[in-house]
Amino acid sequence: MGQEKAAVEAQMILRRRLCNPSFIFSIFSQSPDSNYSKLKYIISSSVTEASNNSVLLLGPRGCGKTAVLDLVLEELVEEHAEMVTVIKLNGLLHSDDNCALKEIARQLCLENQLLFSKMASFDDNSLFLLSMLRECGLAHKTIIFVLDEFDLFAQGKQRLLYSLLDAMQSVTSQAVVVGVSCRLDADQLLEKRVRSRFSHRKLLFLPSSREDLQRVLEHVLLLPTDSRLPQDYTATFNAKLLKLLADDKFKEIIDTLSYSDSTVGHLVRFLFHAVSHMNLNSGGFLSLEIFKAALPSLQRQPKLEGLKDCSILELYILVCMKRLEVKELESINFNSIMKEYKSVHDTFRTSDYYARKVCLRAFEHLIECALISFEDNKGHGQSVEFRPVKLLITWHELYQGLKSYNFCPSILHRLMDREGVSAV
Amino acid sequence: MMSSKVVLFFLPCILCSLIISLTLLIIFCILTDMGKEESPKFNKRTTRSSSSTTPNSKTTSEASKTTTNHTQSLSINDLIFGGESITLDKLISSFPGRRSQILELISLLGPQNSPMIPLFVYGGASTGKTNIVLQIFKHLNRPFIYCSCVTCYNPRILFESILNQLLLHSKNKSNGYLSAKRCEKPSDFINLLHEALSTLLDSLKGDLGESNSKKLSTQVNGKMVYLVFDHIELVREWDKSSIILPFLFNLYDILKMPEVGLIFLSKTSPDTFQSDPPFPVYFPDYTEDDLRQIFMKEQANLKLYSSFLDLVLIPFCRITRQIDELSAAFTPLFKKYCEPLDDLQTLPNEDTKRKLFSHLQPFISLFLNETFSVPSQPLLNASANIDRTNRKSIAKKLGIDDSSDVIDFHMSTSAKCLLISAFLASRNPSTLDASLFDSTGGCDGRKRRRKNSNKSMDQKETKAHELLLKGPGTFPLERLLAIFQCISSAAEYSSDGVELQNGYIGVEGCDAGLMSDILLQLSSLCNANFISRGGTCPLEGSVRYRSTVSEDMALKVARSLKFPLSRYLYR
Repeated sequence: MGQEKAAVEAQMILRRRLCNPSFIFSIFSQSPDSNYSKLKYIISSSVTEASNNSVLLLGPRGCGKTAVLDLVLEELVEEHAEMVTVIKLNGLLHSDDNCALKEIARQLCLENQLLFSKMASFDDNSLFLLSMLRECGLAHKTIIFVLDEFDLFAQGKQRLLYSLLDAMQSVTSQAVVVGVSCRLDADQLLEKRVRSRFSHRKLLFLPSSREDLQRVLEHVLLLPTDSRLPQDYTATFNAKLLKLLADDKFKEIIDTLSYSDSTVGHLVRFLFHAVSHMNLNSGGFLSLEIFKAALPSLQRQPKLEGLKDCSILELYILVCMKRLEVKELESINFNSIMKEYKSVHDTFRTSDYYARKVCLRAFEHLIECALISFEDNKGHGQSVEFRPVKLLITWHELYQGLKSYNFCPSILHRLMDREGVSAV
Repeated sequence: MMSSKVVLFFLPCILCSLIISLTLLIIFCILTDMGKEESPKFNKRTTRSSSSTTPNSKTTSEASKTTTNHTQSLSINDLIFGGESITLDKLISSFPGRRSQILELISLLGPQNSPMIPLFVYGGASTGKTNIVLQIFKHLNRPFIYCSCVTCYNPRILFESILNQLLLHSKNKSNGYLSAKRCEKPSDFINLLHEALSTLLDSLKGDLGESNSKKLSTQVNGKMVYLVFDHIELVREWDKSSIILPFLFNLYDILKMPEVGLIFLSKTSPDTFQSDPPFPVYFPDYTEDDLRQIFMKEQANLKLYSSFLDLVLIPFCRITRQIDELSAAFTPLFKKYCEPLDDLQTLPNEDTKRKLFSHLQPFISLFLNETFSVPSQPLLNASANIDRTNRKSIAKKLGIDDSSDVIDFHMSTSAKCLLISAFLASRNPSTLDASLFDSTGGCDGRKRRRKNSNKSMDQKETKAHELLLKGPGTFPLERLLAIFQCISSAAEYSSDGVELQNGYIGVEGCDAGLMSDILLQLSSLCNANFISRGGTCPLEGSVRYRSTVSEDMALKVARSLKFPLSRYLYR
């Protein structure tokens, strides 16, 4: 196997790992005080003790709530194969009670080799659910309900949550409800009758610390020594990587990355970009340059990019709007901007004075790039010229944008400087 | 008691409308059936740009292929772009200024059979997002599915279109133009999608095993399937966008199938979305150098065109850098530029360049102040050669614009009158109606307005300012009709038989007959967006209207009627 082939193979291995959250979060399964162990204890004890339970997993996106839960469930199904049935629901799909019950019935039928009827009504399905819960309780089987995006189930009348948690109050049933949500106040959204039936067990998933991120980096990026790859390639790759991970400059990059968002999910995106550019630039090894190049692609500044895409006429319009905004008029629309544009032209004799319809076109383009927007959505009958608009960028952003613009007319700089003085 | 009466009253209406809609439906079905049989089927993936890069030859071959294959079922090979694969060099050279974006996308897509996190490709209009992504798939020869949220304008159509393509289902007469699966809710969609994807992936794997032995059965590369969602920014305007958008963005996590790659194309940046979009890839606008390279492509006389671009590119780039608008402006300008030349193939020397420049000079400033309106293409021409139709219609437009006083559409006299009266009702304060439209036909109103004190001047200024901010005012239907009656009678009075050749109809004579006509005209003016129908007034409870025409337009219309509009306008 040649060097190039080995590099492609290594890239495939890394990409596969990065796209598989279970692999990434399996690193946390060893330590005894991790969320993984706590969750496993909660669920497995209620399986073995044949009791009802409910727990909420809370934390920002990308902290591995679902991945850890999947790991736990996978292991539980392996340990107690016949005793556990997992029903998975997602708030994005099943926030409607009717849909959710139908999906529960479908998955229950699938698990127990029963015939699922699409035509069954809400009532039929809920009766079916209750009888299934009873049957499973009698057979000492546990049903685990996983409710992803739990906060979305708390919209509306919360009938599903109520019927699930209410069924769990009886002695005969044997079920665990696991809610996963990125809203930390998810349990506050519940109605009183639902909240009183809910055990207030919460597991908090927090963004990782610096040490944890370092461990994840090693866990993900080090190539396995027992793969089909040539030994010498793996050895050099790993040696180079370890040297890189210890490098202070690399640590700086990771620090800047985690400054805005230190979740594992964010890190994985960053690594994915770096890994996919591995063979393009630096001959099959991960180098500092690749990571440096990956950083700006994640830390995008869409408004500044949008400003760079503007033409000079559009910059004029933005500056005119900013001037009007500083004057604190109650509302700004295209006509008042045009008045300002004309007065700017009259006082400074600029070379960029265009007809009204051309300006209107530029104005519409600005709305399209979301640098400005209409103040309300209701005025659909009004024509564009009269609808009030607002600027979506700050003075500072506009200032920065003008500075980095290549051929920006100096008059705009002067206008902005003057506004800056009066604004501050 | 009341409600039952109401129900009894409405029942016949409902029945009637039901019958009418049923018959309409049947007629429509028949019509669409006929239409489908006659018109050739277009390839599902001819986007505007892919058809323009490979004109005619491709579409005709495609059309002939689909007509012969009409009854046959589709195979996996239909999921790849088809035709010959292109090399990377050709791909990069066919998109000037997009080298880094192409390389970035290819490296993110990765080698064959490697999973990928969802991508969010964004950039302004006409920066080559869709075309580049599709051509990359042509280069890689991997199976993909393309659906644009323009044509799939609601969740149901979007879901069904994806499933149709995945299940290799084509709508035709034998299945009554039905979709393969009917699904409306995301929850059903995800189950069906899972099913469809796993069967497709299984067959891909099976095919790969086979192709190792006999090689010629398939050209499909790899066992990944990519879903491309174009114009994802439009989903924000859908009814249930708060559910659908996060659902689409999280589709990868929900599906949990590493063999599926997702690519979202959007015109707006990620921060304009409520939910977190996936990994961003940015397509910046073209720079001036890129634009020059693009415009120099496929030109007959390169020297001549480059000297033309020297003149026009920089001034036009100050207004816009969007390539579609620029090309719409440059085509007629280049024609003007070439006018003094006898032979288009001559290589220009310094002398002729100077001559051509002085010829073009006046037109540049003229065109700078024109909007580059790109006319909407008729649907059937969409996959034909677009550039040609564009050029023609612009030339036609320019011909009309020379005589700017003429309105370029036909309108009946009463509709014009209605338009003017709506304009007056929107601009003038309602308290002045009586003085403007008394028996003397507005002359008295002028006298009254002569006396100008300082105070009224101030008031006028604030009024003008208000007009600038708030736009035209609203008015009830009664006021519009009253003004309309006054205007039509006044016009008759002042022009007393002189303007009879205009085909002017008096109103007083057949009041009742005209009334329904006028209301009909009003609703058609509303539909044409000359008058907008606002919300109901909370106090009066009647619908209020607002005129949306500009003053120039109203003056033009008035001139065509020989109606003295300025005399009636309160200033």
